[in-house]
Amino acid sequence: MGKILGRILWAAIALAAAFSMGAVAQSRGEPVNSTWLVIASVCTYLVGYRFYARFIAARVMALDDKRATPAERLRDGHDFEPTNKWIVFGHHFAAIAGPGPLVGPTLAAQFGYLPGFLWIVIGATLGGAIQDFVILFGSLRRDGKSLGQMAREEVGKVGGFTALVTVLLIMIILLAVIGLVVVNALKDSPWGAFTIFATMPIAVFMGLYLRYWRPGKVGEASLIGFILVMSAVWGGQAVAQSATIAPWFTLSGKQLAAALIIYGFLASSLPCWLLLAPRDYLSTFVKLGVVILLGAGIILVRPDLQLPPLTRFIDGTGPIFAGKIFPFCFITIACGAVSGFHALISSGTTPKLLSREQSALGVGYGSMLLESFVAVMALIAAASLQPGVYFAVNSPAGIVGAAPAAATATIANWGFAVSPQEMSSLADQVGEKTLFNRTGGAPSLALGMAHIFVSSTGGQAFMGFWYHFAIMFEALFILTTLDAGTRVGRFMLQDLLGHAWPRLGRTSWMPGILGASAVIVLAWGYFLYQGVVDPLGGINSLWPLFGIANQLLAAVALCVGTTILVKMHGAKFMWVTCVPLVWLVAVCFTAGWQKIFSPIPALGFLAQADQLAAGPQTAVTATLVFNARLDAAVTGIFLVLVATILIDSVRVWAGILGGTRVAKTTETPFVPTRLAEEL
Amino acid sequence: MRAFFQRVLRILTSVFDELSDQNAYRRHLAAHGTVHSPQEWRRFQDEHWAAKSRRSRCC
Repeated sequence: MGKILGRILWAAIALAAAFSMGAVAQSRGEPVNSTWLVIASVCTYLVGYRFYARFIAARVMALDDKRATPAERLRDGHDFEPTNKWIVFGHHFAAIAGPGPLVGPTLAAQFGYLPGFLWIVIGATLGGAIQDFVILFGSLRRDGKSLGQMAREEVGKVGGFTALVTVLLIMIILLAVIGLVVVNALKDSPWGAFTIFATMPIAVFMGLYLRYWRPGKVGEASLIGFILVMSAVWGGQAVAQSATIAPWFTLSGKQLAAALIIYGFLASSLPCWLLLAPRDYLSTFVKLGVVILLGAGIILVRPDLQLPPLTRFIDGTGPIFAGKIFPFCFITIACGAVSGFHALISSGTTPKLLSREQSALGVGYGSMLLESFVAVMALIAAASLQPGVYFAVNSPAGIVGAAPAAATATIANWGFAVSPQEMSSLADQVGEKTLFNRTGGAPSLALGMAHIFVSSTGGQAFMGFWYHFAIMFEALFILTTLDAGTRVGRFMLQDLLGHAWPRLGRTSWMPGILGASAVIVLAWGYFLYQGVVDPLGGINSLWPLFGIANQLLAAVALCVGTTILVKMHGAKFMWVTCVPLVWLVAVCFTAGWQKIFSPIPALGFLAQADQLAAGPQTAVTATLVFNARLDAAVTGIFLVLVATILIDSVRVWAGILGGTRVAKTTETPFVPTRLAEEL
Repeated sequence: MRAFFQRVLRILTSVFDELSDQNAYRRHLAAHGTVHSPQEWRRFQDEHWAAKSRRSRCC
């Protein structure tokens, strides 16, 4: 009886998923309610988890709870520790959820809400979650080894080294692009800039509080920090209205970029307890709180989506970034559907904490589904804006014009009505001078979130507060990734340089620390500066570069995953990782090729350089030409690096499947668990 | 029902403890066979963050 009821329930969930997907996809001409997107995504995730992921767990991986995990076998009280699966889930989700799933879907909404929504849900269920799950499984069976170590041992030395260099390069581009998102959100915004500047002394205060005044009281310090940050958001309005103080915090893009570079250097060089640790605690709690708040807001308000399912920009002429729906929708969504960076987390802390193999299903696959749902919420928030407002905020001045009348006329010409008065009124409501040309996705997402928060709590007067609260959340979140990423980059560089001169590899040697920090900061700082001076807003070139890099890292992870599956089962189950791998390779190589060689200057870096070189020559033009060629070279390097790993992997698979190579596994031998029951 | 909510609350508290490094600190104290003190917390912070700050963060 129970079995029959279960089947009926799952049939109902599957039908609800199909029906809601149909409602979302078929709707034309009238606004779709966001409830359909929520039902379609949640039901699809449930079906994917119950049937596809569990099939892989049982048949492909043969997860075995009788087998001792690294957390049990190598238990040391530090890194390896058997931990309750829900705690590991929370830890893993907090580590994988970055700003990408918020910004990417917001930018990809230029194609309309439909392509992005479909890719977020389908891509996560069949690609992103599979990658996270398989890599977690691989690491779990290999003493918690990292992606780089697994690449070296499973694929070969070339693959391992290439993976390390790829990660370092991707990190530099990532830090630059997320820095640019912050710069564009805070440019000429004294309220926003004040709030974010205030988070620095607040973090230092928290650090001192935790270190000397109340050691170990993280919850207490985080609560005080949160209250102070909220006070800063509230006080920012008074700062913006003060004729004396407002100019101090009214900063240009270049000034903000310089401030970020200095901040990144300090964060990388100062002791962790002073700045990095308190910011990390604060950011983690704010992040989880806002995600829950946004989810509750969407369920309460159920906003209609104002953007159409498809816009005219699927033809590649979009103002936010150039390029057709294939491949650029997939490149832009990035982390919301598939993220190569997750493989670093899945082969980092998480496998060292899991007490049972079966828990890898919920933690590895389930966490990615939750991240995908965060991306769906961001898409809903962005798509609930009026299309004219969405494009006015996100389009660079170089495309629509700097004057409000010119910008609104251009956008109205595209078929999205918006007036200068409407934009001016909206800017007044949120306490900004202007909302035109605020590229990067953060301001439009903040507007969408503020609308949802205001609608669910009432009180239009709080629109400005909620807008700046959302900006604070995004910037805090991004800066935490930026300072932690700079530090990780510094360690990676020191590791690499340490091979040449061992002293440089010592992380306690101050000249080495300062030198490596400076190199990393200047590397991402250069790309950030390049984005700031770009007349097209920078996002047009840097976000696709980041997207390509991130998806290529996912391709590296899937190569490793496929190699593991081929060694386990031959060709039988290699489709599990090969299908998303083939798709990602097609997407990334098409996008990379177009970004380098497209004859359209808005799309192809080389064409853009040629066009600039043919025009009037100034010092700025020379820099822009160099930057475009540099971007082309970086894209080319990414493609070559990943092609190297791909070829190496295919060689290994062909050898194993053809019988010319022994399928030598590095899986640790079975040891029965002694843990009596789940912790 | 009450037991269910108690369990949920316990899990949420544990997640908070994990994210705020309280669990890691308890493990550190147990591993070193010592009790909480300001000096021990500072030692834990230095060791823990030296390892944590080397781990990649997601985007």
